[in-house]
Amino acid sequence: MPALMTVILSFAGALVCGLIPARHHRAIRWTALTFATGGLATVIGCWMRYLPSLEFTENFADVVSHEWIPVIGAHFHTGYDGISLPLLMVTGLVAVCGVLFTWNLEKRANEFYAYYFALIGGVYGVFLSLDLFLLFVFYEIAVVPKYFLIAIWGGAKREFAAMKLVLYSFGGSALVLIGLLAIYASAHTFNLPLLLSRDHFSPGFEAIVFPILFLGFAILAGMWPFHTWAPTGHVAAPTAASMLLAGVVMKLGAYGCLRVAIGVLPVGAQLWAPLVAAVAVINIVYGALVALRQTDFKYVIGYSSVSHMGFVLLGLATLNATGMTGAVLQMFSHGVIGALLFALVGSVIYSRTKTRMLDEFHGLIDRMPAIAWIFIITGLASMGLPGFSGFVSELYVLLGAWGSASPWIIAGAGLGILATFGYTLVKIHEAFFKMRNPAEGNGAPATEYPPPTLPELIGCGLLLGAALLVGLCPWLFTNTISASLKFLVERLTF
Amino acid sequence: MDYQMMFWALLPDLMVVVGLFAALGLDYGLLRHRPLPERNFTLARLASWSLVLGLVTMVFLGMQVSDFHFADGQIVFTPMRYALKAGLFAMAILVVQLSAREPVTGQASEYYALLLLATLGMGFVITSGNLLGAFVSLELVSLSLYALTGLWRRSRPAAESAIKYFVFGAVSSAFLLFGLSYIYGVTGALDMAAVADRIAGFKTVPPMLVVGWLLLLVGLGFKIAAAPFHAWAPDVYHNAPTPAAAWVATGSKIAAIALMITLFQPVIDAPEGSPLRLPLGVALAALAVTAMVGGNLAALRQTNLKRLLAYSAIANSGYLLVGLIALTNDARAATLFYTLVYALSTLGAFAVVSLVGGRLGRDAEIDDFRGCWKTMPGMAALMLIFILSLAGIPPLAGFVGKYYLFYAAILGNPDISAWNEGWYWLVGIALLMSVVSLYYYLKVLKAFLVHEGDERAIEEVGTTVNVALLLLAFTIVALGLYPQPILDIFIAAGG
Repeated sequence: MPALMTVILSFAGALVCGLIPARHHRAIRWTALTFATGGLATVIGCWMRYLPSLEFTENFADVVSHEWIPVIGAHFHTGYDGISLPLLMVTGLVAVCGVLFTWNLEKRANEFYAYYFALIGGVYGVFLSLDLFLLFVFYEIAVVPKYFLIAIWGGAKREFAAMKLVLYSFGGSALVLIGLLAIYASAHTFNLPLLLSRDHFSPGFEAIVFPILFLGFAILAGMWPFHTWAPTGHVAAPTAASMLLAGVVMKLGAYGCLRVAIGVLPVGAQLWAPLVAAVAVINIVYGALVALRQTDFKYVIGYSSVSHMGFVLLGLATLNATGMTGAVLQMFSHGVIGALLFALVGSVIYSRTKTRMLDEFHGLIDRMPAIAWIFIITGLASMGLPGFSGFVSELYVLLGAWGSASPWIIAGAGLGILATFGYTLVKIHEAFFKMRNPAEGNGAPATEYPPPTLPELIGCGLLLGAALLVGLCPWLFTNTISASLKFLVERLTF
Repeated sequence: MDYQMMFWALLPDLMVVVGLFAALGLDYGLLRHRPLPERNFTLARLASWSLVLGLVTMVFLGMQVSDFHFADGQIVFTPMRYALKAGLFAMAILVVQLSAREPVTGQASEYYALLLLATLGMGFVITSGNLLGAFVSLELVSLSLYALTGLWRRSRPAAESAIKYFVFGAVSSAFLLFGLSYIYGVTGALDMAAVADRIAGFKTVPPMLVVGWLLLLVGLGFKIAAAPFHAWAPDVYHNAPTPAAAWVATGSKIAAIALMITLFQPVIDAPEGSPLRLPLGVALAALAVTAMVGGNLAALRQTNLKRLLAYSAIANSGYLLVGLIALTNDARAATLFYTLVYALSTLGAFAVVSLVGGRLGRDAEIDDFRGCWKTMPGMAALMLIFILSLAGIPPLAGFVGKYYLFYAAILGNPDISAWNEGWYWLVGIALLMSVVSLYYYLKVLKAFLVHEGDERAIEEVGTTVNVALLLLAFTIVALGLYPQPILDIFIAAGG
């Protein structure tokens, strides 16, 4: 039950924030912060209890199970394990930081937080669901708020981007729904633990249904060539929404790929894994190379998300314990770091420079030193600097890939890492160190921008701290992830 | 014959009949010289009260009587039929209230009388298990609705739509009657229960029966506006007075689907492998595909909200037929449940259109509703619920309804052992079309919730309507979160 508090708090937050009249910005933002923090506290509480009590088992904790709609075999069945915990954690963190980074929002603030919390509630729900129907319900709940968040509060081309994103997501869920119906028609249950523990399906069935289900989820994870919603959507979205999109919503897709597609249909997964791995490498390399060519800073981050999600997909495609642990860890890592990058570019820097075009930036390292250094550290963390979570997760993924994938895949991934180094360093240079206008640079020093505000500092601290903590003590997560994956991996290797 | 029982069973309808005549009499008697708004308000109140009394009686009776089969199946009451009829009366109250504050037409009493007549007819269609009784009731509905459509006498488009509706409707009635005559000719029975018995007695099913049912499908296809028999719908929805259009879109849809279920019951009861099932399944599938594809694609280009809702209705008929396709008990329950859910959501959407934009003579262009979130935030929020329910987004009822339809199409038949025997391709098309439909539904919501509009004075809509709409929205959410009780009623055998 306690874990469900995250879902309840989020939907309650949506309702409460929505009902406060829009003119009370202050009340709304504090209410929002309270509900978001409540969710995070709940997750941390779950984690503290999970670590000692159920360590190294594949059992689910906090299980709630009720009959819901018997006619269609749907149950209300929730719980979490080592795989969902890091994702719940990243959701909580990003939810809190999203509020912090949009601290000064005034336009229709009540509605903003109503959609915001509806989205977060759906995300928490997906990570907690142990019934496939319930999972799908939450998955769908998370679709529509995205549209309004982008279409109302977004930047340039917001209506186009919002519609594109929502139609892609909805198209993905249509595929997922077909897959789920097929699973139910064959197994006559939606019970995830039951589906994970038994072999219900013929190999022919799995070979056909796996790609449908996997593709449905992978669209939301930003898999090439269905990734195009991601950069446009992330760029057009307001800061808090792009943080959620990059940090959390893309993880929904990856989580679905892992839990449902690979977990329930292991034979199909083995059959299709080489193709997934190849596409994952394309994701990594293509995302990085496109990022290198961008002139809008937010698009750089947008394509870097696509690239980083490639590592998640590659980790999943290894189908071994190391690689998949790396994938889950990478979901966490990219969740916090990607969200922070979007916050820095979309809100912290943009609110000061009023532009995101790299060729209009000018000596930012001198004009906003604190923010610039925060960004540089985050950028390096995203690149895979040892000491941060990204390094550990990508290492796991690559080690896993050595074990199972073909040399070409490894070579491609290596190329991707080089490209990642390339675009990170180049873009950091262009943004912060390059002097555009020597005449102005030599003369009177350009005006200094105001230093980061307190909410911004707290937000950066939380997200960077989480990345650093996991980078330094990866066992905090890896032990539980591996334990929960053990069973799944055993089914994959019989 | 137990006449006392008959009296009790028909008491709710009697209340409405009394209300109907009282409305006509009052308008031409006591209220003759009063101004139109006052007459309109009094009559709306009278009509609502007669419906409320009818509803209360029905609920009371529903608790007393469980099954009632009367006069060759001319009046059949089962929990399912009770529930549908009660829902219909409740929805009629909202429709009547929509025009209470502002008269829709100059002919106040005729307007309410026709609305009540249509409602009565729909009630009888739902509770009739007899070929002739159902047909006559359906004609009562249709004739009232033709007249309602043309009630804006000075509007040429309204007159045109009424004629169009009438011509299409008359042709469809002919098809229906022709089909019924085949079924009667082969089985020699008018009572659907007896028809089912006779068919079960046949050693081989005569091909004439299949022809009969196909003709029925054509006739009903017109009534539920499934493409390619849909051409009347956009004009009627667009040009009829908005509350009347709402009743065409919802009430008559419920009635037509209920009739369809009644008429297809022998097929549903037919054993697996009966020669009745396959041709009807294929015909239903063909009709479903044309309706879904045609309706959804045509809706993409609409700029008028009422026309858009018309094409959405056509598309939704397609989804309904997908649910029915398996011709099982699950299929029946799914179809009925989704019809109810669709009707509730569409009624809500029409109500908002009528209250926010659809004052007399104003065309409900989608762009007219820009900035609604600022001027009437409550209405915008309600519209969000109604439209998202139509789009099939959880946790609203539209999602469960649609899911159950697809579930029934694939799994309705418990005998299916192999996974690939269901109607996967059809469900695939339906899902693809749902994605398409999200585009135009969001287009509507974009006007309501995203765009800035011109500042208009906030219009009051009245407490009764507000409460009714809130109840409606609550019902849609509640049916989405916990549909089991209603599903239990619909799934009970022998409906």
